[in-house]
This record gives sequence, structure tokens and C-alpha cells, in this order.
Amino acid sequence: MKKTFTTLAAVAAVALGGAAQADVLRMAYSSAPRSVDPYPFGGATTAGYKEHIYEALVGHDDQPLLSTGWTWNSPTSLTVQLREGVKFHNGEPFTARDVVYSACRMMFKIDDKRNLLTSSMGPLTDVVAEGDHAVRFETKNPYPLWIQKMKFLSILSASGGSVPDGPITYDATGDCGITAYPTRDDFENGDAAVGTGPFKHVSFAKEFAVMERNDDYWGEASKWEGVEISSVSNSGARFAGLLAGDYDLIENPTSEDITALDGNDDFDFSSKPAWRTMFVVLDVNAEGAPGVSAADGSAPLANAKVRHAMSLAINRDAITDRLFGGNAAPANQYSPSYRAGAPEMPALEYDADKAKALLAEAGYPDGFTLQFNAPSDRYPNGTRVAQALAQYWSRIGITVELNTQPWSVFAKARKAREMGAFFYGWGHPQGPAQMISFAFATRDKDLGLGSSNYSNYSSEAFDAAIKAWAVETDAAKADEHVGNAMRAAMADMPGIPVYYTHSLWAHRADLTVDGRQDERTSAFMVSYK
Amino acid sequence: MLSFVLRRLGQSSVLVLIMSILVFVGMYVVSDPVAVLASDDFTEEDRIALASELGVDRPLIVQYFSFLSNVVRGDFGTSFVYNEPVLPLIVERLPATLEVAFLAIAIGLCIGVPLGIYSGLNRKKKTTKTISLLTTVGYSIPNFWQALLLILVFAVWLKVLPASGRGDTTTLFGIELSFFNLDGLRHMLLPAINLAIYKICMQTRLARSGTQEVMFQDYMTFARAKGIPRPRLIRRHLMRNILIPIVTITGLELGGLIAFSTVTETVFNWPGIGKLLLDSIHNADRPVVVAYLILIVMMFVVINFVVDVLYALLDPRIRYT
Repeated sequence: MKKTFTTLAAVAAVALGGAAQADVLRMAYSSAPRSVDPYPFGGATTAGYKEHIYEALVGHDDQPLLSTGWTWNSPTSLTVQLREGVKFHNGEPFTARDVVYSACRMMFKIDDKRNLLTSSMGPLTDVVAEGDHAVRFETKNPYPLWIQKMKFLSILSASGGSVPDGPITYDATGDCGITAYPTRDDFENGDAAVGTGPFKHVSFAKEFAVMERNDDYWGEASKWEGVEISSVSNSGARFAGLLAGDYDLIENPTSEDITALDGNDDFDFSSKPAWRTMFVVLDVNAEGAPGVSAADGSAPLANAKVRHAMSLAINRDAITDRLFGGNAAPANQYSPSYRAGAPEMPALEYDADKAKALLAEAGYPDGFTLQFNAPSDRYPNGTRVAQALAQYWSRIGITVELNTQPWSVFAKARKAREMGAFFYGWGHPQGPAQMISFAFATRDKDLGLGSSNYSNYSSEAFDAAIKAWAVETDAAKADEHVGNAMRAAMADMPGIPVYYTHSLWAHRADLTVDGRQDERTSAFMVSYK
Repeated sequence: MLSFVLRRLGQSSVLVLIMSILVFVGMYVVSDPVAVLASDDFTEEDRIALASELGVDRPLIVQYFSFLSNVVRGDFGTSFVYNEPVLPLIVERLPATLEVAFLAIAIGLCIGVPLGIYSGLNRKKKTTKTISLLTTVGYSIPNFWQALLLILVFAVWLKVLPASGRGDTTTLFGIELSFFNLDGLRHMLLPAINLAIYKICMQTRLARSGTQEVMFQDYMTFARAKGIPRPRLIRRHLMRNILIPIVTITGLELGGLIAFSTVTETVFNWPGIGKLLLDSIHNADRPVVVAYLILIVMMFVVINFVVDVLYALLDPRIRYT
């Protein structure tokens, strides 16, 4: 009877059309790409999706993609050589005019709303085509970070009815003499979704996107005939969909999912160290921090010894091994040590006795009271890590009150600077210095520095190094400044680095996944064994 | 009847107004869209500019009145997150939710009512006791857990139904529907069953208690004594009299299903409005949440109205003046 039932089920499955097509890769993202238009929205899933269709001058690995190289004419002027022989999906050749057009579109506000992704694109003042295969970028201040920022300048084709013939002149409003930019609908129905990427747009609805291979791709064409991207925000549903054969690959499986795959011959998982540092932000304000109090009325977190003691109290290896099963790495600085440009730093010590002694030395032998905040729905295992941290600190005598809350609530409290200590993760797609310049530089509205400095940290040595880095176009010298800034911050510890995350993918066992470090999921990284 | 309708309309607009204030203030207190939308590498200047583009830098009361004056003109605002008008965003997802809700209600009625009448008529039988036990179980299983169980059994082990998503749709009058499409139906089945299990149990119980009550009424005894054949007795005399509570509950439940099948839609990744609500709360997307809840209040008002009209049709003694 049982056998008949299984057979029946199998027959039914085939009859009902459950069979998979072998050469279409079906992926499940953990959140929905927000638009086909590459400019309005940031976020890993939107970026991961759009990279199939559009390319930029610089690739995700910081190497030239639609360019062949660049030279600094002066610290405020960069000339980029464009790759020749590249064609758009509509057959038009890729030239400097397209780059100018794309920069205009990037700056243009649709319905008077800025593009979230590109509103922080720096002090760009001019984009000039120099012949067909070179573009010059001019900036107000020296802006070496532009090389990293070019990753976000997805190149669109400057063709179609609304683009006038002849050269396009860039202006900062993005107006550029273009009568009308394509609308959201134009992008979603594919008319305007024309890039140079290895896949072409077929259809897009928020939870489901379909693409087909671009057979005329300038590089090596994909092995996949097509790609289907579903968006499944619930991790249980995503994993069930994988096991049921609805998807070939899912991103961000949970630790429980990974354990469940143990001994399963049909499915496997892949892991890759990612550019994200999880750390504890401490408000070092000398006048005290919200939710932090000591018996003598002083401000414990303003004392560097206290911050070092809190770091010493944390067993990072235990967190990465026990909570993540090894799919995370202990952190020793604010940027992942394996991120290009990060300095060499010693591992952070774990010694609870030493921590206790240091806390006593700082004047808090009986500890103090600390409210520690963490978002409950933002980071994999985030709540558990927060609990572990709270326990480590209670062991050295700090009274910790753990407060976990949904991301939207947490984000508001963070923006309003209502939290003296909180758990946070920061990705580094634009290199190590970019993050610390926002998180730890003294707040300076004119220079745009320190806008996310929730530590209220201010150090002359650090600021000097960051300001030197911000204008240095020589890569080796820039790295040296980053090293100096990092060492200065780590010595003061306005935040406590805890671990570096790994990106995880669960997939069919006959696939290999060569994962990426920028937390994006794309078909390029997946192939048959 | 007209004064009844007018009175209802007046009450509902007050209701909608109160609700919109509650949601507006609630979302304002709890979350800040700029904090959610602005990434860490926004400068201070960018954040201020973003707040003014979203219009959230104005005092709450100003924001609320500008919202109200727009609503009067039929403009529910623009989503902070998607930068699209809110109404189409909700309406385009409505068919997906409605389809599953109606299918679930239909399953609930078609299985629940006959089972309930059977149980009511045969109180001492073993099958009745089994049905009663099963309904208790069906009542008590948490919805999300039951959903995962369904996925595990039908999608992962037996592989007869897909685990999630909507599948192919057929476009009818410009609306995408799964009903007329084999692949769409297969995708719809598990979420519908997940929602229907609770409904089946409830309808069974309702129909059973109704049957037990009605069967001992004098008019039933009289009808039996008159020699009316049993099928006609059940159809004409029993059914009609137990229908009032069933219609009431079905109406309310339908509203509940449309408005708050969030859990089921999330677990099955069904692209309906429940999932949109959850995502929007998560993303501090106030315009979507406010518009959604206003629409839901209006929907309940309409459903309750339809239920009231149905009463009058079912029971000639009820009149609205």
C-alpha cells in the first residue's frame, strides 16, 4: 500500500509538471529586489539582481569591468578608459556617451525623490566624454573613493526616443538636456532594462524575476540559459522550497538549516567570508551615555580601560564555533582583516580575569549597569550573540540589561542616539576606510565625516589619518593612512569588534558555488560540478 | 433601508478617521522611515534632504492633515520604500489574497457544514466522536506550524505540490488569477488548505450545535409528524434555520482571512496583501500601512453590511428600517 502511494505520488508529480528544467537556474533570495531601474534603491538583493543585467565600469571585486584602467590627472580628476567591442542588449555599441547618460540618470530625481543608492555618491562635479572610449570624472574635492563608488554607476544605454542625438552634457541636477527618463514601467516591462550584462530582462514582478542568457555577451557567456529569482523572506519557507525542488539554490539558510543538511546527499551548503563586521557600538561621551550608569555617577564607557575590559571579557572563538558552527570568524578590527586595504592587526585576547582586574583598575571593581540593545530580526543569530555578550559582561561584574527590538524600532532609537551600547553590523563594499570614516571620525557636516558616529568618538590621531586618506590617490599610501586610523581607533576602542560574518548558500548537491564576499547572490557564481 | 445604509456610512467614516489617527500616531512613535531607509554612508546633509523629500520633517499634525486632504482627493500617498503610489501597490496584490481566501472559505463551508449536520444528527455514533476529536485538534494547531507541516508532507516528502510562490497566472479582465490555471491551482492549494483547516473545524462545530438545537424545536417535530421526508426536512427546515450563525461567522472570517492571513502568506511566500502589510510595518512604510488598514476597515464595513442583508433574505422576520 505504502509503495503504491509513493508511486502514485511520483506519477502525479510528473503529470502535474513538477519536473525541473536543467539549464535554468532557480534561485531564492531572502528579500525582494525593489526595482529593475538600477538607481533608486540600494540593498544587497536589488544589487545582486541588477548585476545580471547591468554592468559598471568597476566590478564587485574592485577590478575594471567595463573599463580597462584609469589614471589620475590630478587628485580631483580621473580619466577612465572604456572597454571596446562591448554591445548593449539592443545591439548598440557601448561608448562614453552611455557613461555620461548613466551619470545623469544617477543624479536625476524622479518625482523629486533622490536615488537612495546614489545620493551619497560624493562631490561629483562633471562627467566628460573624451572621444568614444574614455571618460573624465571631475570632483569638487579630492575623491579617491570614486574608484569604489563607480561600482554603483550601472551603465544604461543612451538610446531610445527621449535621448537627443549628439553629445550629452552632464549637469549636477541630472537634467542634461534629456526630455524624459524612462519610467518605472519602462524598466519593468523591459523597454528600458537594457544593459551590457550576461543576462537579459524577460519579466519582473516583485517576488519573481526571469532573465535569459545574453548570447552576444562580450565576456564568457554564462552556462545557464536562464535565471529565475524568487524572493522568499521567510527562512523556513525558503529552505522548504529548496528541499521540495522549487529552487536550486537559496541564500541565507539558518544555522538550523545547515545542521539539518548533515547527511543529506541531495543538498549541500557553501560558505564564504563576507565583508561585514559585527561589533558593539559604545557611546564614549564623557558626560555619560543613555542606559549606562555607575554608582558614583561617572560615565564608565568614557573610560578606555572599561571598553578594553569589555572586549577582553568576550570569548570570540566560542561565539563563532558554538553559535555559527565555524561559519563566522573572530574579529580583530573594524574591517574584516581579509578585506583588501585592511591593516595587519593582532588577534583580540580573551581573558576574563584580566578583564576583571582592568575594570577594577578603571575604578569599577563592582561593575556598573549597562543597557545593551540589539535588533531582533536583522542579523543571523543576532539575538543569541547579544545574549552571549550580555553573559560575558555579567561574568566580569557588569549588570547587563539586554534589550532586543525589531529593526525599525531599533533604527529609530539609534538615529535619535538613545542607546549607549548596541550591537551592529557594517558591510564594507567600498573598503575598510570608508566605514570607519563614517563611524568614528569626529562629526563634521561640511566634510560629510562622522555622520554615523554613534560612539561620539573624537580622536585627533584618527581624524588626521582619515583626512589624509580621504584625499590620497596613491593606493599604497592610502592603505598606510587606513592602517594608522585603524590602529588609533582600536587603541581607544569606541566599538568592540566581535566577529566577521560568512555568507551562506544552500543548494543542490550537484552544484558548486563560488561565493562572493559582498553578500550578493548571482548566477555567475553557480555552476554544475 | 436607505436610512440604515446612511447611518452605517456615517458610523464607518468616523471609524476610519479614528483608525487612521491611531495608525498614524502609532507608526510615528515606533519607527522613523529615514532611519530605516538611509544607509550608514549617508551624510548628515543627505539624511536631512531625504526627510524633507519624504515629508517626514514636518510636525506630525501637519503631516496628518496633508495626508487627510490628499485622501479626500483619492490620493493615499506614496510608499516611502517603493516610491510608488500606495493604492495600486495594494490593489495589485489583492487578487492573490482574495483567491486564496475564497477558496479557503469554500473548502471550509463544503466540508464543515455537512460534517456538522451529520454530527448533529448522529450524536451517538463513533464517527461523530472522531469528527469531534479532529475538530479539537484542528482548532488547536498553531497556524504557522501547521503550514510547515503541510509543506513538509506534500512538498518535501511526497513532492506533489509546490512549497511556495504563486506559479503561473491567467490574466482575466486585466487581473492576474491563479484559479484558471493548473499550475496556479497547485500553488494555491496548500495555502488554501492551511487557512481552511481552522474554518472546517469551526463550521463543523457551528453546524453541529445549530443542528442539535433546531432538531428539537417544535416545528421540526411537527414537520416530522407531518411526514415530510428526511432529505427535504434537512434541506428546507434544518439548513435554513442553522444558516444565520454560519453566515455571520463566514462573513467575519472572510474579512479576517483577507486582512490578516499574514502568517500563511509569509510561510508560503504568497504575494498577497498580508505579506505586504508585514513587510511595510517592518520597513516603517507608513503610507502603505495606513492605507491598508483604512481599506481593511472599509472592507469589514461592506462585509457586515452584506451579512445584514443576507439575514433579511434568510429570515423574513428581520427588517431594516
